[in-house]
Amino acid sequence: MKSTKFWQTIFIGLVLCSIVVPAFSASVNQTNEDFIAETFANQVPKSKVVWMKDDLRPAIANILGHEYAGLRIRYWQQEQRTAWILDEIGKESPITFGVIITMGKVEQVKVLAYRESRGGEIQQRAFSRQYADAELSEQKLDRHIDGISGATLSVRAMTSVVTLALYLTKFINQTE
Amino acid sequence: MNRRMRSLHRSMGAAIALFVMLLSITGILLNHSSDLKLDKHYLTWPWLLSHYGVGDVKADAVFLLEQSVISQFGTEIFVNAKPVTNAQRPLLGGVVLDEVIVLATDDVLILLTADGEFIERMGAAAGVPPMIQNIGLFHGAPVIQTREGMWRSDFMLDKWELTSLQGVGWSLPSPMPESIRNELVKYFHGEGVTAEHVLLDVHNGRILGSIGVWLLDLVGILLTVLSLTGIWMWLRRIR
Repeated sequence: MKSTKFWQTIFIGLVLCSIVVPAFSASVNQTNEDFIAETFANQVPKSKVVWMKDDLRPAIANILGHEYAGLRIRYWQQEQRTAWILDEIGKESPITFGVIITMGKVEQVKVLAYRESRGGEIQQRAFSRQYADAELSEQKLDRHIDGISGATLSVRAMTSVVTLALYLTKFINQTE
Repeated sequence: MNRRMRSLHRSMGAAIALFVMLLSITGILLNHSSDLKLDKHYLTWPWLLSHYGVGDVKADAVFLLEQSVISQFGTEIFVNAKPVTNAQRPLLGGVVLDEVIVLATDDVLILLTADGEFIERMGAAAGVPPMIQNIGLFHGAPVIQTREGMWRSDFMLDKWELTSLQGVGWSLPSPMPESIRNELVKYFHGEGVTAEHVLLDVHNGRILGSIGVWLLDLVGILLTVLSLTGIWMWLRRIR
């Protein structure tokens, strides 16, 4: 009798998990506008765009490992701080990242929306802290980022996006 | 006893004759499917495609914008029959603005070139009012209706002012043009069903689903019984 109850509990638990897990699989941690408002303390500068011109496109493809799906990328800049909101596919779905670059270094990276079913550990601050103060070194990060077992593709996506944000910031600062 | 057996043998033979012929013909054809190129011959009869569940595609939203047909299937956005980008929210409408296609969901504007190349997604962070309900044009200028009111902008789409206008040409959903539907069917379901696939399904009964499989099982049992009754009668005659 006890055994039956035990299995009943396990079964109900599994059913509930199957309902709850997909519900958490598309989580918005912060809206894009809230991220920008928070970054610039509600004094949001006018957004600008960088166009994917011929010379920029191959460099970005090299960083991401694939062509960037878009003709322009929007950013917000105030003095030495630049904020980027970039999407990158983890395994199957786009992850939205917010990256702040200050004086050519990563100030903060945040997962704004996570839509993958696995690998959500990259949303933890303890993980994203690894990117703090990272700089660009020959189109790569100047440091090693420790991976997370089971979240390899999400970690790769975050590293690519942070590298891209550093590269784009350098690019716009050089061209302005 | 012998007469009864012969009668049973004849009845069973007549009952399964058609199935035996069907099995024999489809079996011979399947044996030579490569030579006959049956694996490369696609059948596109509508009733057959429909039977295989690949006959139609149903878009969640369709909008006709000048020369382009915009459709949404789940989170995927298509221009004509080409996938161009994704949208997490349902498509509400679209307009063409200076050769740029502007699509609206409730939280972003999706910008595409006239050829369908993705340009950018603009949301509230880029100055677009949230909670969009529809998009339209007023004398060439983009207008969006949100829960908070009507907003008007210019081709840059990054500055919006509250307005109240009459005569806005709002974007309206359209039926899917047949030619694009056919292309989308090809995109989602391929060229059709191969003749080899259909023959194999006829041969093993799966063309009729699980009933067909049971029917073929029954034919198999009857064939076995037919063989046994035939052998029994032959042995009786020898004795």
